[in-house]
Amino acid sequence: MRRPLSHRLLGLAGKIAVGLVVAFILLPAVVVTMSAFNDKAIMNFPPTGFSTRWFARAFSYSDFSSGFRNGLIVTAFASTIALVVGTGFAFVLDRYEFRGKKAMEAILTSPLVIPHFTIGLGFLILAAQIHAARGFAVVVVTHVVLVLPFVMRSVYVSLRNLDARLELAAASLGARPGRTLFTITLPLLLPGLVSGWLFAAILSFNEFTASLFVTAQATQTLPVAMYNYVREYADPTLAALSVVYIVVTALLLTIANRFLGLGKVLNVEHGR
Amino acid sequence: MKTRPFLALFVSPAALAALALVGALAAILQYAFRAFVPGSMEPGGLTLANFEALLRPLYAGVFLQTVWICLITALVTLVVAYPLAYAIVRSRSVTLKSFLLITALTPMFLGEVVRTYSWIIVLGNSGFINSVLRGLGLIERPIQLMFTTTGVVIALVHVTLPIMTIMLAAALSHIDAAYEKAATSLGAGPVRVFLTVTLPLSMPGIVAGVTTAFAWTFSAFATPQMIGGGRVPMVSTLIYQLGFASFNFPFAAALSVTGLALTFAVLALAKAALSPLERMGAH
Amino acid sequence: MAAERLHTGTEAPAATSARVGVQIDGVTKKFGAFTALHEAWLKIEQGSFMTLLGPSGCGKTTLLNLLAGFLEANGGEIFVDGQLMTETPPYAREIGVVFQNYALFPHMSVEKNVGYGLAARGVPKREIASRVADMLALVKLSDFGHRKPKELSGGQQQRVALARALVIRPKLLLLDEPFSALDKNLRGAMQVEIKEIQRSLGVTTIFVTHDQSEALSMSDRIAVMSAGRIRQVGTPDEIYRRPTDRFVASFVGDVNVLPAKLERRLDDRASVMVGAVRVEVPAGTVDGLAPGAAVDLFVRPDALAIGEKGSGFPGTIAAHVYQGSHVDVLVDSPATTGGRLLVRVPGTQAPHRWPVGQAVGVTPTGDAVAFPPEAA
Repeated sequence: MRRPLSHRLLGLAGKIAVGLVVAFILLPAVVVTMSAFNDKAIMNFPPTGFSTRWFARAFSYSDFSSGFRNGLIVTAFASTIALVVGTGFAFVLDRYEFRGKKAMEAILTSPLVIPHFTIGLGFLILAAQIHAARGFAVVVVTHVVLVLPFVMRSVYVSLRNLDARLELAAASLGARPGRTLFTITLPLLLPGLVSGWLFAAILSFNEFTASLFVTAQATQTLPVAMYNYVREYADPTLAALSVVYIVVTALLLTIANRFLGLGKVLNVEHGR
Repeated sequence: MKTRPFLALFVSPAALAALALVGALAAILQYAFRAFVPGSMEPGGLTLANFEALLRPLYAGVFLQTVWICLITALVTLVVAYPLAYAIVRSRSVTLKSFLLITALTPMFLGEVVRTYSWIIVLGNSGFINSVLRGLGLIERPIQLMFTTTGVVIALVHVTLPIMTIMLAAALSHIDAAYEKAATSLGAGPVRVFLTVTLPLSMPGIVAGVTTAFAWTFSAFATPQMIGGGRVPMVSTLIYQLGFASFNFPFAAALSVTGLALTFAVLALAKAALSPLERMGAH
Repeated sequence: MAAERLHTGTEAPAATSARVGVQIDGVTKKFGAFTALHEAWLKIEQGSFMTLLGPSGCGKTTLLNLLAGFLEANGGEIFVDGQLMTETPPYAREIGVVFQNYALFPHMSVEKNVGYGLAARGVPKREIASRVADMLALVKLSDFGHRKPKELSGGQQQRVALARALVIRPKLLLLDEPFSALDKNLRGAMQVEIKEIQRSLGVTTIFVTHDQSEALSMSDRIAVMSAGRIRQVGTPDEIYRRPTDRFVASFVGDVNVLPAKLERRLDDRASVMVGAVRVEVPAGTVDGLAPGAAVDLFVRPDALAIGEKGSGFPGTIAAHVYQGSHVDVLVDSPATTGGRLLVRVPGTQAPHRWPVGQAVGVTPTGDAVAFPPEAA
């Protein structure tokens, strides 16, 4: 039975709509890539010649390299600390009931809905109030709080999928809780831990708004340096850097996807 | 056997993190009620002046404008994301499904600066859109997109699209395709099936998606700052300006507190709206 | 309070009774308002094979989890080999468990899985290697030590799980529905194999199942459970042929229920009348009923015989179900509650001797049990 013409037209319209949406999503990435290889210093279209000099400039610009280094420091500390803190909390969240559990969960997941500028401003003021220097510590603490919900969720999902009988089996075989944790629970959680850490690292490395508030010249991370660059220059150096960003992020996401799977990410209700 | 191994050990670091966040929020709250001393980083005595200042037309206008932009962005994003989410959930080809999913997700992790910068190249007077339109001979002079609300909303839709798609797809994936088949077998055309079955059943996802898009737009800073260029003020850009141009942190704090209250009010409203819907679409 | 009860009974405390492998004294487990296990009392002889049989939700798995130490009882005491276990954490109980899905550690090889309990006890590496090798030989998996669990078949996985539980030389082996994940052909073979290994090692074993044929074929004794209570404990033959509980009679094996009247009681025997047919039953299950009281007579299909019209209960052949070694014959009869009797006739001649539609008489030839009618 052939479907009526109107139905087929509707199906076609749907396909065109999806195609347009995909084009909308990809458009900036495509345009920025074309622009990055343009040899002119002004952002114009279409590109007039091919050049890789903006990549060279992006890699040699000192604010970017120091921003990259600062970003790595902040990301390494923040995502690792968040992994430890988030894993521990996801564990007790899954296993135990205790007073204040709900409140703590609400507080620690609240950065999903609290504007980043609020959190950034908050830590800036807090640091001033306790007379803490605007060093890496403040930036790291801010990032830990911001990425913690993602680590918690990633580990929590893995814990839920962990067969509790494996731990019971270990206990029945004579393993004390510590041995069970290190020989059974943690090795089996490894994919969740890796992907949680990776998500946290990507988000921390790319975080901008809160970082703008809490970083100083000496601690500015790459997105902050990029933002400052746009305010001063209008050449495609940032386009070149953006291309690097897009490629690296897509690559990291593919790796993370290997460990966790996008289907599980789909079940994420809120996310940031 | 009543022991709960690792409880204290595992809770303590999380408690410290929670304490830090509560401390930061308390610091804002406290500053919001302190007087601004021009030329000094230290705040003055207790006052309600910051909140009174919020009522001035200039600031109240920024608030209204922000809420308006958030609403428009959330609704446009909903319309754009729905077909994509539907295609992700219902497409039969695994390859197509993964492609669409990865396409939808990747921008979320790129960060606001990279994405906004890309949009500057797309929207600028000699950018992609104007060049293409001029090349086709459709326009004489460039259309002004940079520094306009339209331009800001276009870029913000791009920012909120991934999360909206994920939420809609999650809701749609819970709808059994058999319902749609059943409606079709009863003689309903595709439009009727969509309006009477798919759309109502995906309502919880729609409400959740719109709420989150609203919150994200409210939270966006780089996009209104870079594309609006100061001509499309939003709460976030105003706070930054107050903090880092005038060093009026108490007023910035009061704005933040009010913004946070607004965010939570919207979330509570959505939750209240959602509960009867969820009862309706109870699985 | 449980300790008091322990010494008020007629039996000696567990600690002095060497032959008792497991003693469960009035163990109760509640989940909120729901009582999953209601004062369970059970003694299990050392080295014997005890089955906890019952439908899902009857409390058998709860009891197993209490024995393993995975759950904490609300009252009562558990002794294993005379030692009080109630306060002992699972890792110190020396109890081997084979889980329903085997719970093999997916990230470890077969050898590592089997050696896990020994490593946890700090056994020297060389001794672990030799004991693991011995155990893998016992379960016929010597060549599979380096494989990962997911590379094994269901039956092989089960043997690994068994080896892992036994290598620690447990005082007690718990089997939690171990055959439910296996296909039917493999099930019978694994039942025989596990029974043989259990007997050769002489390890006290508690087997949890909802499958009555598994219970009847493997057990030394069976405890039938329902709704959080142990209904009857006995040998498979006692459980099958002389159930003392209405639930046990209907849960284990097929049964015909016939309304009857108590005629009289003499010592430990009683007689009941089904219409004009007199049937002998044990008196224990109709204690306290006066002659003439209504009872339900439970008769197994293999305790009935089909004969000429006029003998026994009147009936008409309704259908035959060919079962290979025997034929199940369905007989329409007003004598039974459901209107239809199930008679198991050995051999394959039944359809010829009693074709469908023929009027026959059905006579009880074996054990039958009577119970008071169910409270309405």
